[in-house]
Amino acid sequence: MTIQITINGNPCSSEAGESVLTIARREGVEIPAFCHDETLAPYGACRMCLVDVVSGPKKGVTTACTLQAMDGLEIITDTPEILRLRKVLLELYLAQAPKSKTIKALAAQHGIKKTRFAKKVHPEDPLQGQCILCGLCVRVCRDIMGAGAISYIGRGQFTEINTPFYEENDACLGCGACAQVCPTQAIAFEDITGTRVMKSWSETKVPLKQCAACGNYFAPVPFTAYAYEKLDPAIRDEIRDLCPDCRRKEMTRKAILLRAEGVGR
Amino acid sequence: MGCIGYCREEPLVNIHLPGKPLIILHRVTEKDAEEIVRAVAAGEVPRKLSLCRINDWDPLVGEKLLFGEGFQDVPAYAEIPYFAPQRKVVLRDAGLINPEDIDEYIAVGGYSALYKALTRMSPDDVIEEVKASGLRGRGGAGFPTGLKWGFTKKEKSSTKYIICNADEGDPGAYMNRNEMESDPHMILEGMLIGAYAIGAREGVLYIRAEYPLAIQRLEKAIGQARDYGLLGENIFGADFSFTLTIAEGAGAFVCGEETALIASIEGETGRPRPRPPFPAQKGLWGMPTNINNVETWTNIPVIINRGGAWFSKIGGERNSGTKVFSLVGEVDRVGLAEVPLSTPIRTMVYDIGNGGIEGKAIKAVQTGGPSGGCIPASLFDTPMDYEHLTAVGSIMGSGGVVVMDAGTSMVDTARFFIGFTNEESCGKCVPCREGLKHMLMILDKTLAGKATETDMQTLEELSGVIKNASLCGLGQTAPNPVLSTLRYFRDEYNTLLKKARK
Ligand SMILES: Cc1cc2nc3c(=O)[nH]c(=O)nc-3n(C[C@H](O)[C@H](O)[C@H](O)COP(=O)(O)O)c2cc1C
Ligand code: SF4
Ligand code: FES
Repeated sequence: MTIQITINGNPCSSEAGESVLTIARREGVEIPAFCHDETLAPYGACRMCLVDVVSGPKKGVTTACTLQAMDGLEIITDTPEILRLRKVLLELYLAQAPKSKTIKALAAQHGIKKTRFAKKVHPEDPLQGQCILCGLCVRVCRDIMGAGAISYIGRGQFTEINTPFYEENDACLGCGACAQVCPTQAIAFEDITGTRVMKSWSETKVPLKQCAACGNYFAPVPFTAYAYEKLDPAIRDEIRDLCPDCRRKEMTRKAILLRAEGVGR
Repeated sequence: MGCIGYCREEPLVNIHLPGKPLIILHRVTEKDAEEIVRAVAAGEVPRKLSLCRINDWDPLVGEKLLFGEGFQDVPAYAEIPYFAPQRKVVLRDAGLINPEDIDEYIAVGGYSALYKALTRMSPDDVIEEVKASGLRGRGGAGFPTGLKWGFTKKEKSSTKYIICNADEGDPGAYMNRNEMESDPHMILEGMLIGAYAIGAREGVLYIRAEYPLAIQRLEKAIGQARDYGLLGENIFGADFSFTLTIAEGAGAFVCGEETALIASIEGETGRPRPRPPFPAQKGLWGMPTNINNVETWTNIPVIINRGGAWFSKIGGERNSGTKVFSLVGEVDRVGLAEVPLSTPIRTMVYDIGNGGIEGKAIKAVQTGGPSGGCIPASLFDTPMDYEHLTAVGSIMGSGGVVVMDAGTSMVDTARFFIGFTNEESCGKCVPCREGLKHMLMILDKTLAGKATETDMQTLEELSGVIKNASLCGLGQTAPNPVLSTLRYFRDEYNTLLKKARK
């Protein structure tokens, strides 16, 4: 069902039940958000997407990502109250993840250069003083990749994200989806001849697959197995063991051959 | 046995001689055993141990119990100052029946409301009756129970669940524990009626593992109800079947929050989830789920039996019924007290509690558990109900009342509670996880005499942000102890501040 909602005084149409954050982004309204990804269920943890509901069943401050659109809903994204809340949240983030460039940049955009709060000291942080515990990595690994290699450890201010018991975890596919979704680029991994080392995840080591044609290492073995089975069963046999480059070459070669055959007939 | 709630006078002993009133003995020790036996053998009761007599008792849902006459020199129940202002609805059987015997519950009218609901009322009738009663959730938020039931009922799903929240995690709160230990069948009956109204065939009792006796008694009650055909298939011959299981809580305070509780039953870490979707839409195992507190469920049988209109006459405006409070701290008479909602704090602290220990002056009470606010003695006329407690900066919560006398430092008190909530924060959302940590640091700095006026402003601003920006009720209420003490006891903070340099 198509409905109408109002964002900052501008009417926008959307589907009923759609996330207000999604609608706002589509409409080009900027709302900061750290813990949301369109492929994942709304999580409501980072609290950056707070907006003010001025007309709707429950008025007041709430998170746009978890707010479902309904006809007549009216929100404002930048009331003085929202901006004030957001600024203090950014100060908290500056203290929690003092090394994060993303946080610093967003804080600066909001006119904040310094935090009033004591900065967290974590000398051997595998996440390099940049993690804000948005949980995107944990959820993408569990809900999208189906691996569940990392999870929360501890609770409250001592919460961390890592592999269970900080041990190497062979559930890890080495896919790097975690690093890709991380809003603060906190997750580190490195490919060292034939092995991908997930530095942030207890140095978990994942073997890399070697291309049958060129000999280059191109992707983690468990991830290719996963990709071939779950994502694209069409990738078959002879090209399976090729890196993307060689695969493209191989496909082109085949196409040319086929065409040549056709011409020959 | 169960417990009548007068903790200060324990151990209590009940004596009932045929034709005589029920006599409650108090502060009984081992040494008294011989004297008690000798007295009873002679058809008497030991006078100096006698707290009060009960000639008759109204169990509200059944015939009046007539114990007998005599022993006029022992004070009557209603003359005891601790009991006089109380009104026993939820705890009407507590301490008077054997909680391990279903026959005793049935003898005081137990399961008659279920019978009435199943044989003479439609599910909609039941919901209308609960709506008419005005009952609101006793787990803290005070959401109208009938309305909530209606949400889950109207969901189209072949599987629905109901849950009893018995996680009671507030330090010093033990009303749910007493309700379960003293009268487990009342909870079962309430849940059965709710399940019938909502259309659920399965229920879960989520009880904190620290309550082994409650778990044991509920297990026993479930077994007895099953034997009597009150749980299982086609209860009372009606087209209604229901099973009930017990899940033991994982121990974290935040597991009492409904979405975290559901995650915990599902075997995940107890972290709150954003709502919507509400449990009524997508709850346990993704199915529509209705969750209520123990005390909410215990109110159901009497509402069905006596009617919503009867119930709504007890208590204050929009606050019908009674509430069980745990009265603890620096108060003379500690215990569990059940009073009509909207009873003034003064009645609780002075009439029931008899003021401070050894006559010490009382400074404040903190209501509602670790995230309640501190209310100064000057506001003791405030009625104890959802709206009035919120208006003075506190909450109803689960019904904890901690009394503080003149010797208490309010900054220390605030620090203590922030320490608790900081420890219990699940860590999911930033305001609660990081914010409480910094609040605690500022409070420690204040207590060490090193804080400045600027720190006080930061503390206050941070409190407001945590309250408004947190994901769940824990963070949304956690700053109350600080905000309320800043509001009413600001001078105590001021005297601790580092003097501004000239
Ligand atoms: C941090 C936190 C702890 C809670 N603990 C409890 C609890 O121990 N028992 C309870 O019944 N409700 C608790 N609640 C409230 C529940 O989330 C929920 O509102 C309640 O169980 C609903 O039942 P009611 O409508 O009967 O009150 C808690 C809420 C929060 C935010
Ligand atoms: S408010 Fe606190 S307890 Fe609730 S979800 Fe956020 S961090 Fe967890
Ligand atoms: S994006 Fe909404 S809370 Fe994080």
